[in-house]
Amino acid sequence: MATSGTASTFRPSVSASSRLTHLRSSPSKAPTSFTPRSRSFSVSCTIAKDVMADAEKTKAAGSDTTMWKRPDSFGRFGKFGGKYVPETLMHALSELETAFYSLATDDDFQRELAGILKDYVGRESPLYFAERLTEHYRRENGQGPLIYFKREDLNHTGAHKINNAVAQALLAKRLGKKRIIAETGAGQHGVATATVCARFGLQCIIYMGAQDMERQALNVFRMRLLGAEVRGVHSGTATLKDATSEAIRDWVTNVEDTHYILGSVAGPHPYPMMVRDFHAVIGKETRRQALEKWGGKPDVLVACVGGGSNAMGLFHEFVDDAEVRMIGVEAAGFGLDSGKHAATLTKGDVGVLHGAMSYLLQDDDGQIIEPHSISAGLDYPGVGPEHSFLKDMGRAEYYSVTDEEALEAFKRVSRLEGIIPALETSHALAHLEKLCPTLPDGARVVLNFSGRGDKDVQTAIKYLEV
Amino acid sequence: MSSTKIFQVQGQPLPRVPVRNHGMINSVVCGVHIISYNRVSNVHNRTSGPSLGYVPTRTNEIPFLRGDRNGRFGRFGGKFVPETLMSCLRDLEDEFNFVLSDQEFQVELTAALRDYVGRETPLYFAERLTQHYKTIARTTGDGPEIYLKREDLSHGGSHKINNALAQAMIARRLGSSRVVAATGAGQHGVATAAACAKLSLECTVFMGSTDIEKQSSNVFSMKMLGAQVKSVEGTFQDASSEAIRNWVEKLETTYYLSGTVVGPHPSPLMVREFQSVIGKETRRQANQRWGGKPDVLVACVGSGSNALGLFHEFVGDEDVRLVGIEAAGLGLDSGKHSATLAVGDVGVYHGSMSYLLQDDQGQILRPHSIGVGLEYPGVGPEISFLKESGRAEFYTATDQEAIQACMLLSRLEGIIPALETAHALAFLDKLVPTLHDGAKVVLNCSGRGDKDIKTLIQRGMPSSLC
Repeated sequence: MATSGTASTFRPSVSASSRLTHLRSSPSKAPTSFTPRSRSFSVSCTIAKDVMADAEKTKAAGSDTTMWKRPDSFGRFGKFGGKYVPETLMHALSELETAFYSLATDDDFQRELAGILKDYVGRESPLYFAERLTEHYRRENGQGPLIYFKREDLNHTGAHKINNAVAQALLAKRLGKKRIIAETGAGQHGVATATVCARFGLQCIIYMGAQDMERQALNVFRMRLLGAEVRGVHSGTATLKDATSEAIRDWVTNVEDTHYILGSVAGPHPYPMMVRDFHAVIGKETRRQALEKWGGKPDVLVACVGGGSNAMGLFHEFVDDAEVRMIGVEAAGFGLDSGKHAATLTKGDVGVLHGAMSYLLQDDDGQIIEPHSISAGLDYPGVGPEHSFLKDMGRAEYYSVTDEEALEAFKRVSRLEGIIPALETSHALAHLEKLCPTLPDGARVVLNFSGRGDKDVQTAIKYLEV
Repeated sequence: MSSTKIFQVQGQPLPRVPVRNHGMINSVVCGVHIISYNRVSNVHNRTSGPSLGYVPTRTNEIPFLRGDRNGRFGRFGGKFVPETLMSCLRDLEDEFNFVLSDQEFQVELTAALRDYVGRETPLYFAERLTQHYKTIARTTGDGPEIYLKREDLSHGGSHKINNALAQAMIARRLGSSRVVAATGAGQHGVATAAACAKLSLECTVFMGSTDIEKQSSNVFSMKMLGAQVKSVEGTFQDASSEAIRNWVEKLETTYYLSGTVVGPHPSPLMVREFQSVIGKETRRQANQRWGGKPDVLVACVGSGSNALGLFHEFVGDEDVRLVGIEAAGLGLDSGKHSATLAVGDVGVYHGSMSYLLQDDQGQILRPHSIGVGLEYPGVGPEISFLKESGRAEFYTATDQEAIQACMLLSRLEGIIPALETAHALAFLDKLVPTLHDGAKVVLNCSGRGDKDIKTLIQRGMPSSLC
């Protein structure tokens, strides 16, 4: 209970917020105590002070990652994150947060989720040794790194997105919500959402920019085949960010019976944390598989970064392992100097977008710059707040790769390994060209193969003139 | 799970067991559980090599004539090929027999199936589909339970890769530098192209011009994977003939990778063996799941590879019903269908004796189905045998029924099946009401329907979806 005039505010114990790093917690990692918060404290003026205190603490902790609050009780990762939303959504967000924490220790829920991930989604996904690609990067003296793919492309619907969609749909059902909404750009997240709604018998409405609907007619059809309603958004530039705004508007209006399935680790708290935790199964499996395969940990983790969900899914498990290097690869589109790219962490500035403080691509007036990437999934002007945090703390490194480099990698990996990567994933694969020559012999690289590229073959063929 | 194998000295033929009036012989031992008979000891005596040791028995064994040394299944099968091919086929047979018991090959194949293909595929309980049939039947009992064997989750999106990968490995062992294949829907083409890319083999795929148009996304994928795609006027049957011609021209360097259980011995046997992993996993999973066996197995039948892949393991289990569904196209009376077993006659085609669609003059008819992969005027000889011996039952489903089934599964389970698979799903409408409560139906979900989205949009889809 917040006492007037003092800085102390009621918050759950440290173990609940910072140590709830994954859902399938063993008892020792479960929150040791969780006490419900009173409603009144959420608008106390003392928040700001405490946030800064937390940010200070994190900075003071320096490189001791275990002292970092990821996130703290206000959903902040250092100064990033938070809940910049209209008042009407605050209750829904805290309800979501409460449900999420309680389900972390709910055995029934965990069992049901694990069963669905196994039988419906097809987990666990293999950790595949890319022999021919490894050979490709072998230096003349026979030395070179060893490259492994974490095969999220083998999941049902062909990408990592389903991990989160499935868990959120289950969560929504637990909350008694009958209606699901989501926004989508190219349609991948929309298809994943429509898929899980069909599976769980939930009503599904997808908001999509009218422009995107034209370009992605096949995905629109898919969503409708799966029983979802696809609503075209004509305002603004009729693309992803407008669809997102429309979805948020819908949620505000129908918050009682509606759950908003956000597709990435962006948005207001608790979404960045929740989506990360739902994808964390990727990293958890990787740890186990690496141990089995070579009796150790990966040396380097590489993943593409759009909103950041697949990267967080792989990285999260290893953040506290200081010797594991983490590399995120963004889209440099036509080049970082062209103004047509989506390299948020390289060229962006800090601001608030879609409910969270994070890096974002904005002009001098603070207007959002329309990003560009050949891959729709990376075509986002923002980035998850936790990535902004990891970048600032120096825990993860971020680079970028152009459309052209991504297309080259797309072709190279298809030809060498017989696996067609999504164009998004191709960005991470392209970065190997620069990374591998710098790695010592035998260094083990695990790359998150976040999606398959069937959807991109037609695009790529046009460019590559195959 | 270890299977007992007859150890084969390289180059030596498999032991021949005398045939009496199409009576009973042991099933050819090809890496599966050996059926135990009195006559097993005969086989022991003739084998050169270490003795078998423990031979596991199966209950209620009714021996079936399933593949003798000349590749005959009863009166079906055989090697109806020009003399030039005989020695080549013999070499292939020898190599095949060798690899079945070669530890190195088996270990490499198992690892590739696990890490590259993504096996084992789940046995998924289709809860909403099961409920759907219960609701229709207005039953108060438990109703039958429907399980889907998720071959759609395999790399490439169908079961085809199980066989393509194993055969590509054999091709490499035989020292072939190039691989040719023929494909209908493109799935086998994609699987072959992928396996060849992974094993650095040159790959040429022949595809009918009509099929190229209908399944263009698969064509793009093949090209992306580095394969040459050659268009042949017509459909799969024409592409097959052309591929065989191409193979014969360059016998020295070329390996013909057959995608299904047709063709001269040893193709039907080989492809069935490599696909039988489906049934083997199913037995284990069913046992784990409900402590028993499936009651009914259902699969679509084009040439029969996915069906045999599921059925083979259970042929000796009398209490397991085997149901195959062919394509009735526009109706059996329309002349536009692919229901070889329903209305065909026995003849020789593409090197083996089997049922096939022929006119009074013995000319091959042109089949039709909306499921391009089912559009073949013949059928595997082993399938013909299973029909004639009464071990398996075969029915048909029309284009329209398949489309309806496709829509139903998409809406109820969030899985968009391939149109071929949809034929098997369509039959559930007729099958399920006849089954007792608690009957366990395992349906082979042989492929995903991404390749069919364009077809679905063009044909017979309700306008509300477009």
